[in-house]
Amino acid sequence: MNNILTAANLSKSFDSLQVVKDVSLTIQKGEFVCLVGKSGSGKTTLLSILSGLEQPTKGTVSINGTSITDSSENELALFRREKVGFIFQSFHLIPTLSAWENVALPLFPVKMDKGIRKQRAMKLLSQMEIDHRAAHRPSTLSGGEKQRVAIARALVNRPEIIFADEPTGNLDSETSGAIMNILKHLHEKNTMSILMVTHDQDLAASTDRIIHMKDGKVVS
Amino acid sequence: MNLIYLGKELYHRKRRTLAAVFSLAVGIAILITINALSKAYNEAARMPLKEIDADIVVQRAGNVPENLVGPVFACSAVTIKKDEINQIRGLQGIQGFGQALLLWVFDEDRFTIVLGFDPDNPVGPGTLRSQVTQGTFLEKGKNQALAEISYANNYNIQTGDNVTVGGKSYQISGIVDASRATKIAVANIYLDMDDAQRMAKESEQVQNVSPFESNDANILFIKANPEQIDALARSIKSIIGEKASIATPASFLKHLGSLFSLSDKFSLATSMIALVITILIVLKTMAGNLAERANEIGVLKAVGWSNKDVVSQLLGESIIQCLAGGILGLIFSLIAASMLGLIQVNIPIPWEMSPTPHFLPGGGDPVFKTLQLPVTISWRLAAFSILLSTTIGAVTGGLLSRHISRIKPSEVLKNE
Repeated sequence: MNNILTAANLSKSFDSLQVVKDVSLTIQKGEFVCLVGKSGSGKTTLLSILSGLEQPTKGTVSINGTSITDSSENELALFRREKVGFIFQSFHLIPTLSAWENVALPLFPVKMDKGIRKQRAMKLLSQMEIDHRAAHRPSTLSGGEKQRVAIARALVNRPEIIFADEPTGNLDSETSGAIMNILKHLHEKNTMSILMVTHDQDLAASTDRIIHMKDGKVVS
Repeated sequence: MNLIYLGKELYHRKRRTLAAVFSLAVGIAILITINALSKAYNEAARMPLKEIDADIVVQRAGNVPENLVGPVFACSAVTIKKDEINQIRGLQGIQGFGQALLLWVFDEDRFTIVLGFDPDNPVGPGTLRSQVTQGTFLEKGKNQALAEISYANNYNIQTGDNVTVGGKSYQISGIVDASRATKIAVANIYLDMDDAQRMAKESEQVQNVSPFESNDANILFIKANPEQIDALARSIKSIIGEKASIATPASFLKHLGSLFSLSDKFSLATSMIALVITILIVLKTMAGNLAERANEIGVLKAVGWSNKDVVSQLLGESIIQCLAGGILGLIFSLIAASMLGLIQVNIPIPWEMSPTPHFLPGGGDPVFKTLQLPVTISWRLAAFSILLSTTIGAVTGGLLSRHISRIKPSEVLKNE
C-alpha cells in the first residue's frame, strides 16, 4: 500500500527492436530511486513509460493505485498535469517566457487566479534561491539557474512523484552537486518520491536505491 | 489559450511573426488594391453617362442627309419611333427615362447644333439645370432657348436676346456651361423637346432620310438598375435593331483599352492568384515555425497540456498574426489607393456620341472625358479582407496545430 509506483511486466518495442524487456519494479512513497545503465540500456524509455509519456507494448503501470496503461491521451495529459513532475537534462524551458512564467507553464491550462498562479511560481523560485531572476528569460540564465527553474516547474503542480532524466547531464560538477542537493532536500524535507535516471555512479550512490538496467532489463 | 504566452511568442519571435504578418499583409493589400482599382475603372467608365444621370444612351444610325440645308439628322442619330420608345420604357429594370432630339441646323448664316429635351426631366440634358451661368433654365411652352457659353460668346448672344434657328425665333432664357458638366449631349442651342420635335417634323431633309412623327426622338437616356444594365442593353438592341448604338459603362470600359476591357476577369484572376500565393506563403511560414517549435510543443504536452490546449494556443497565435496581417494589408491598400487616386484617365467618347459634324473644323478630333481615377476602398471590401485574413489564420492554424498537437512528447524530448 506504500507504493507510489508499481510496474509489472513492462515491455516496449519499436518495430522489431525490443527496448524494454519484461521489467517489473516498485517505488515506495518518499523513496529516492536511481535508474542507472549504459547508454542504450533502455532507462530513458522506461522512464517515459513509467511517467505516462509513452505507452508500453505490454505490461501495466499504476501510480498511487491508479492504472495509466489504458488511459487515453487526454487522460494521460491530465494525469501528468496533476500527479507528475518532470526534470529534463536539456531543461526544456520555453525561450520566450520569463523564469516565473516557465515555472507556471503547467498551470496555464488550469482555471485559476492569475495572482495565485504567479505567487505559487514565485514561492518555488524563492525555494530554489533564484527568485531574483524571476523576470529573466532562459537565454540570460546559467545552466544551473535553468535547471533550478526546471525543478521549480516540476514542483508547481504539487506532484506525487518526480521523474528526472539525467538532470545534471548538462551541468559542471559543482552545479551538479548543487542540483543534487536540491533534489535530496526535496526528498528529505518534503518526502517527495523521485525516480532519477543517470549514468553518474557518484550521484546514484547518494540515493535510497539503485536499479541497474542492461539491454532493456532490470539486472539488479 | 494563455494570452501572456501568446503575446510573448509573437513579440519575442519577431522575425517569424513579421514574416507571417507581412506576407499576409502584402497578399491582402494586392487583393484589395486590385479590386479597388477594378472598381475605380468601372466607376470611371460610368462617369460620362453619370454626368447626365443616365446608365444607358440609345441612338440609331442612319443615312447621311442628302443636302445639308435646314434641320437635318446626324447619321449617327436618326428617328426612334414612339412605339419603340414605349416598348423600351416598359422594360424591367428601368429606373428613369429621358429622351432628346439632336439636330444639325444649317441656316444661311450659321451652323447650329440643337438639342431638344424635356427641361423638367432630371434624366439626360435636364442635369444642365445646375450649369446655368447666366439667366434662368429653360421652361416648357415658353418658346425659349438656352445657349451654350462658347456659342453665345462666339455670336455675342446675351440672355433675353432672340436667336433664329431653322427659321424660327426663340428667346434666350439663359447661358449654360455644358462642357463643364458633360461630354455627351452637348449642343449650341437647347430647346424645349416640343419645339425641337416640331422643327424635325417640318424638315424635308429629316423626313427624306428618316421619317419623323411629333412624338418621336433620336436619343434616349435611361437610368437603370446597375445589375440589369447589360440585359437591358441587349433587350433594347432587339427593339431598335442592328443599327442601334447603345452606350453603357461596359462599352466605355472597352474604349479604355484591352487590359481594362477585361477588368473584371483580370481582377478576379489576379485576386485569386494573390490569394492562393498568400495562403501558401502563410501556410509555409507557419508550418516552418511550428516545426521549429516541436520541442516546445513536446514540453507543453509533457507538463500536462492536452491536445485541445495546444491547438487552442497555436490557433490563437495564428489568428492574431493573420488578423494583424489583414489590418496591415488594409493600411497598405489605403496608401496605395490614395496614390492611385492621383492617376488621371482619359475616357474616349465614341464618335457617334459626339454631336459635332465630322466635316466641321475640329469635328473629327477625338473627345475625351478626363478625370482622376476614383479609387476608393469600400467598407465591405475592407471587412471582407479582414474576415478573409482571419479565416486564413483559423484554417491554416487549425490544420497545422491539429497536426502538431499529435506529437509524442517522448519522441521530441529524448536527450540530445
